[in-house]
Amino acid sequence: MSGEKWYPRRGPHVPIRLSMEDPQPMYRQIESQLRDFILAGQLKAGTKLPTIRALAGELSCSVITTQRAYQDLEGEGLILTRQGRGTVVAEIPEEKLSARRRDAVEAAFREAVRTGRRAGFTEEELRDVLNQALHLDHTDVSGGIT
Amino acid sequence: MTRTPIISLQGLRKTYEAFEIGPIDLDVQPGYVVAIVGPNGGGKSTLMGMLMNLIQPTSGEITLFGGEYPYDEVAIKRRIGYAPERPSGYDGLSPRDLGKFVSRFYPGWDQRLYEDLLADVAIEPEKLFGKFSTGTQRRLSFALALATGSELLLLDEPTAGVDPFARRQILEGISRFMMDERYGGRTVVFTTHVMEEVRRIADYVAFLVDGKLLGLFEKDVLLEGWRTFWLDREPEGDVAGQVELESGNPARLVSDSPRETEEALRAQSIRIVRSGALDLEEILSHLMRRDKAWRIKSSRTVE
Repeated sequence: MSGEKWYPRRGPHVPIRLSMEDPQPMYRQIESQLRDFILAGQLKAGTKLPTIRALAGELSCSVITTQRAYQDLEGEGLILTRQGRGTVVAEIPEEKLSARRRDAVEAAFREAVRTGRRAGFTEEELRDVLNQALHLDHTDVSGGIT
Repeated sequence: MTRTPIISLQGLRKTYEAFEIGPIDLDVQPGYVVAIVGPNGGGKSTLMGMLMNLIQPTSGEITLFGGEYPYDEVAIKRRIGYAPERPSGYDGLSPRDLGKFVSRFYPGWDQRLYEDLLADVAIEPEKLFGKFSTGTQRRLSFALALATGSELLLLDEPTAGVDPFARRQILEGISRFMMDERYGGRTVVFTTHVMEEVRRIADYVAFLVDGKLLGLFEKDVLLEGWRTFWLDREPEGDVAGQVELESGNPARLVSDSPRETEEALRAQSIRIVRSGALDLEEILSHLMRRDKAWRIKSSRTVE
């Protein structure tokens, strides 16, 4: 209430957004956004994260929600909480990062395959679609934006 | 995060001639902001009064920091910063004298914070409390409670009658109070009838309506537990979780079990045109409507 003098300053900030339209629970939304930032290298190892209370205040959610999100991410080895030193982004070995990237890509492909199967596509047709997508994407990239 | 409750109420009741509050069973764990919400006249201030031993309960038990009134009254109250809705006995004192008066009682009194807060309100330190506007009196009471340096704040309608700017400062003050990690986490219990305040700063919300506690809910779980669906056609018969159905195109269905409802709709091949969360007002009005069913499951502990 009184300027910044008496209480801890607003600490680090992470650009997380919660949407009440999103059917995912709030702690899942926080988790997936933080996970993406970390795995994409936008939050580097050692980066300080807001306290659970500060993050809850910023997002107008409860501290129980932010704590749940931090606990899960800590369980995945993505962040670390040290008594008295707050929460920081963990050092993630390169092979783990690339494995996770691979996981994400594989998951997307599996989902695509499921969509195709539901639509009644044969394996042959799915390969066709994949080849076409690769080709299209390739032309997109090489064509560039003028 | 389950620890010994900082506040524990068991079968707490206060009976007046025309009105009864309770029985209330409620446990509050330390480290959280708890909002007690409900229409005016629902018993919020009486509950606060009982927590401060200013109103004697008709029956039931109050345990604060593991102690009880009247034996542990001094020890308990030294750990509570209390801002009453209408402070009595303050009128003839100036903000400066009030500070001196209150500070003697609190080992953790923070004079610099108090002066800082007064400066924020642009309060003349020598003017008598009774001469200030209601809004300013409210902010002074809040400043006094905050400056006690206590681990528990009890705030009775801290923002009633203050302008939007002051309201924001008070909410900000509560958030900052909570960021201080002294005592391994502090606790705030406040009453309000403004849902927006609850949405912004509360961790738990307790609905108190007509003297009855409709339950203590984790706010986010409560918000996530209800959803409105707009549908391309009406389902046949009641679907799982359905609380309310409004015909129309699209039809509108309110659910208290969104997952189950979605499944049931899918089974009937009904398309969800859009879905969205309910706000706390809407949820409260649904809860009030089926007060009884909820009362059995609720008014229990925070876990």
